[in-house]
Amino acid sequence: MSRQQVRGNPRMRKGLGSRTSDPATMMEDPPSGDWLTLRSDQFLNWVDDAVYNIAEKTGIRDVVNRVTRPIFNWGLRYSPWPLHLGIMCCALEMGAAGGPDHDSERMGVVYRSSPRQCDILIVNGPVCEKLRPKLKTLYEQMADPKWVIAMGECAIGGGPYWDSYSVVAGADTFMPVDVYIPGCPVRPEALMHGFLTLQKKIREKEPGYFLRR
Amino acid sequence: MAEMWIHMGPQHPMTHGLWNLRIKVNGETITDAVPELGYLHRSVEKIGERRKYFMNTTLTDRLCYASAMTWTHCYCLAAEELMGVVAPPRAQYIRTAVLELQRIASHLMWLGAYLPDLGLITGFLYGMRDREMFLNLLEIPSGGRLLYNYVKIGGVKRDLPPGFEAKAERVMQTLERRLKEYENLYDNSKIFRMRNDGVGVYSASDAINWGITGPNLRSAGVPFDLRQADSYDAYPELDFEPVTNTAAGGGSDCFSRYRQRVDEMHQSMDLVRQALAKMPEGRVMADSVPLRASGEAFRRTEDSRGEALMYLVGDGSDRPYRWKIRSPMFTTVSAAPHFLKGYKVADVPAIMGSIDMCIGETDK
Amino acid sequence: METGQLVQQLTQHDGASDGSVLRSNVGRISITREASHSFFSTLKNDFGFDHCSLISAVDNQTGFELVYHFSIVDAAGQMLEVHIDLPRDTPTVDSITHLWGGADWHEREAYDLMGIYFIGHPDLKRVLLPDGFAGHPLRKDYVYEIHEEEW
Ligand code: SF4
Repeated sequence: MSRQQVRGNPRMRKGLGSRTSDPATMMEDPPSGDWLTLRSDQFLNWVDDAVYNIAEKTGIRDVVNRVTRPIFNWGLRYSPWPLHLGIMCCALEMGAAGGPDHDSERMGVVYRSSPRQCDILIVNGPVCEKLRPKLKTLYEQMADPKWVIAMGECAIGGGPYWDSYSVVAGADTFMPVDVYIPGCPVRPEALMHGFLTLQKKIREKEPGYFLRR
Repeated sequence: MAEMWIHMGPQHPMTHGLWNLRIKVNGETITDAVPELGYLHRSVEKIGERRKYFMNTTLTDRLCYASAMTWTHCYCLAAEELMGVVAPPRAQYIRTAVLELQRIASHLMWLGAYLPDLGLITGFLYGMRDREMFLNLLEIPSGGRLLYNYVKIGGVKRDLPPGFEAKAERVMQTLERRLKEYENLYDNSKIFRMRNDGVGVYSASDAINWGITGPNLRSAGVPFDLRQADSYDAYPELDFEPVTNTAAGGGSDCFSRYRQRVDEMHQSMDLVRQALAKMPEGRVMADSVPLRASGEAFRRTEDSRGEALMYLVGDGSDRPYRWKIRSPMFTTVSAAPHFLKGYKVADVPAIMGSIDMCIGETDK
Repeated sequence: METGQLVQQLTQHDGASDGSVLRSNVGRISITREASHSFFSTLKNDFGFDHCSLISAVDNQTGFELVYHFSIVDAAGQMLEVHIDLPRDTPTVDSITHLWGGADWHEREAYDLMGIYFIGHPDLKRVLLPDGFAGHPLRKDYVYEIHEEEW
């Protein structure tokens, strides 16, 4: 494949899209002498592909996975950092759960203010139409792996505002929700139970892969 | 230096809720500010038109979740005025007591939210710890931790259980002891004073013109308290004077707003004691509460954050024809650009925190 | 000033009618839309009503009704309720933001949710709903619809 083709091929440019183990779409080694002409993202893609393919082909990936999976999974389970985002009443109970009486921090729940540092998005109130795009953006800004907790009736299905012209009928209409916590308001204990449920879910469902695709 | 706009919100540690403050900065200095609301607009006024009168207490509880009791109470007063019902004396005294307890809980919530804004995370833990005591206290008669649905049209849901006075007294004594500790801690903290003194100043006449009410107005030295000026329930029979504070140079600054709320907590404890001591015997619910109403009525009350006013229009059916809510914060935040201008970006959390935003009531 | 006396004096103003006393410290009065501008100036400057509590717009199906609540910031807490009737096809009225700064967002809200136009308002645009929203939802004839598109 010539340099021209590498530049012009949109699949290659897309980053994530180009990274598959399918040999037909895999990026080939650039011809010798072309190394310096790769853009940085192309170079990173190429390195990723190379490492992934070597690890996959030699079976190292499986071995590493088997060894590190429990460790990664344990780490994910005990450091679920939620986003510090208060929507409505349930946000106060979220605060109470983080307060000294209930102290959710003993389960590793530390509230962070930047979505980039977070694993959990707690939707703790009604999602209004004006908020929906912002919430989606916040969700997309969070790094994988990420989970969403729908806290309270509002986030589950609109709650007391089900017939309002500006409230969305539940958070799961526009983003994937992992744990639903019923209640209006959700008591702090119920929120803690929700965190524990999420931990259980992570233990069962989250592979914690080395070199995830 | 070039000017630019910065968005603070809707998700921002400063906002305490969902709203967006756009500030125009010249270097570090704020030259303009535009608050943007509506991220929590649930259209309570519209859906309230489709609920029966007594059902709407569910919605009013959720108007301002930090101060649910006072909002439901304001709605119930307006509805009572519309229907011509008067709550029995014991219910009025119970209302007064729980309203003041709610006010303390709300101010503690404010304290717990305000201090982390200034970098004092310990303040959050202290505030939440003490607030929890009051929530447990309010849970005893109402059964709810946060949203009580306790005040009803024509009275309160049920009587105070025996032993409530003793429990309340114990909790209040604890808070008094701790408040003294906190006042020592904060008032003498140099960092706290530096972040508060002379920040976010507005004068009393400006505040009145902008429609600022409640603690934010009294902290400018205006003794205007609706509990006294437009008295309701058992307040006329209690002995109290509005507390005021002023900043060192006149007007209101962040520090006087902080002092104001702490002083109000002391005053509220005094009022709870008076109300519990004078509590008459009797029923807690009016004999008959009509389902239908016509005409129009309004009542205003002193909410934890300022003047709450509910205006109800009935057309003879069992649902309100029009229901309008005056939210104190809606007006206060509209004045925010005036007292943000000229300060630094780092003062924004202090200024906006000190006015005690509650987005639930603001966006309705 | 006694509320009864106050209402009586205010009823002298041209365009004013229906003066009555609702509670011991609350008066009520109706005013025509044309006379509202000078009436509000008198209210603020001569009678000392320095606080605009609330502006509510009521949809009466045949027309709109604006209800203003004014009060005096002092220990007596006197209030006045002012009603203005507006025709349905031209719901316009003079803005009072130059007199009471606090009326600013109340007028914006009335415009946003009810579609009342305040002439002379410095920045009359939507406050709670987003800019592209169609219609004024608190009107009785507003048709509910599910908003599929994003705002
Ligand atoms: S579920 Fe209930 S308590 Fe929670 S945000 Fe919704 S209305 Fe408030």
